Amino acid sequence: MATVTNWIDHLSAKEVQGAIYPGVGSEGILVIIALVLWIGWHVLQNNAESNHLEKLARKRHGANDHKSNITEW
Amino acid sequence: MTDQLAALTTIFTEFYYWITVVLMFLIHVGFCMYEVGASRYKHHQHTLMKNTMLIPLVTVTWFLFGWWIYWAFPTGPGLAPSIMNESAALITDESTFSAKWYQPNTEYMAVNLGDHISGVFWAAFLLFSWTAASIVSGAVIERITTFAFGILAIAIGSVFWTIDAAWGWHFDGWMLKLLGYHDAYASGVIHAIAGGFALGVLIVLGPRIGKFSSSGEPRNIGPRNPWLVTIGLFLIYTGFWGFYAACNIPIFDLGPEYGMEGVTYWTATNIYVTPTTLSGITMNFLMSLSGGLLAGYLISNNDPFWTYSSGLAGIICASAGNDLYHPIQAMIIAMIGVVIAYKLHYFVERKFKIDDAVGAVAVHGYAGVAGLIICGFVLNGYPSSGYSVGSMWVGTDYAPINPLGMFIGAIIMFVVLGLIPGYVIAKVLHGVGKLRIPREVEIAGLDYDLMEAARDDEKAVSSSTR
Repeated sequence: MATVTNWIDHLSAKEVQGAIYPGVGSEGILVIIALVLWIGWHVLQNNAESNHLEKLARKRHGANDHKSNITEW
Repeated sequence: MTDQLAALTTIFTEFYYWITVVLMFLIHVGFCMYEVGASRYKHHQHTLMKNTMLIPLVTVTWFLFGWWIYWAFPTGPGLAPSIMNESAALITDESTFSAKWYQPNTEYMAVNLGDHISGVFWAAFLLFSWTAASIVSGAVIERITTFAFGILAIAIGSVFWTIDAAWGWHFDGWMLKLLGYHDAYASGVIHAIAGGFALGVLIVLGPRIGKFSSSGEPRNIGPRNPWLVTIGLFLIYTGFWGFYAACNIPIFDLGPEYGMEGVTYWTATNIYVTPTTLSGITMNFLMSLSGGLLAGYLISNNDPFWTYSSGLAGIICASAGNDLYHPIQAMIIAMIGVVIAYKLHYFVERKFKIDDAVGAVAVHGYAGVAGLIICGFVLNGYPSSGYSVGSMWVGTDYAPINPLGMFIGAIIMFVVLGLIPGYVIAKVLHGVGKLRIPREVEIAGLDYDLMEAARDDEKAVSSSTR
């Protein structure tokens, strides 16, 4: 996985390789993982928010109820 | 790097952009404080989280495709040929500034010893993207779902603003060539588009419950925490300084760049690679801020909220030409922009029942549009680029700055890339029932259960001390 194992060898090469992160060449897989994480986050967030709002809407509150919930005025 | 002077220039440039990114982070801190201060107590935490979560969403999508769009789309595509490869297609070839190097799976989008600039430049543009999304965030507080806002933030932050930046804020952009478009510090490419986008969303989203009486009279839902609003806007001013610096290239030899044989001319340039000075734009920044504050104080009858916002609107209005204006011109233009933005805000509110909770459409949208149009007159005849000078509608060289081109540019920013996409995406989200929170929740407050839980926690702690 390590792209660099010896800095002296790396920097004295005829052409210094610029990319020094682990797993050079695996960028495509990393992008796919990022895409899955991104879209997956929206799905999870949407489900959680929908359930939360639905639960909250079922309560019968008045316009000023929140005032009695404030603990430190 | 083996040449010391080249290394110094490169690492200075790298550090310069890095500093601007850190400074610009304050814009987002300011927007968060401002929005929380402007929202009502029962919505505070939700408001804060909504704005905060745009940071990761826009960042990830900016990495995946936003940055690529900026480098791929300067030609339209199909509207004007690139000066790099003389093709009007998307720029994805092997040329130096091709989008090919900015795909998320290339080795330049990472730690790379051969490229010290791309990452900090990427980050500077990303901070502009956050700003565009954050402008929209303020307008829609207290009634939009976080899911819907996330989608809208990605749309404006990683798609539409980056298209407009490719078109009108890139040295190779077709709007410079065909129209003579000039927008040095983003009156249009950030502010007008974000204001237009916010207006498009607001048309579909509707006003907060209680904002308008049954007869249609608007009611004031003023800032609940004016101190937080004050600090927020001061932080936005501070970050805006970083933004101005980030719109410049700090050191550049224009002689070889323009193909002038034997000429060496080192200078700072704006984003279009035409000369300006950090010194001069700092004067213009402060004078336009002052013009905005002076006008806002008078027109709003000392209202602190509008006075602070007017300082921002003043800078925004003068920004298009602040690379070249005289400081007093910048101040006057700022004053004009503030009067237009303030008057239009209340006209649109009353006439069309638009509830823009923080005045974002006015401060960013109307002031930005006014700034572009004014710039067309004041800078009429200046070259839009240093590479060549031609005439309008040709496209193979660069049209000079002119009133008609800037007017069309303003329409493209506010309406074509702002209002219409905002409206359409909001319509789709509304159509699938995901745009607005339920009425009961809006009345009770998005933080209702959090506050209920906090009260119960407090009771439990209190009872344990008896």
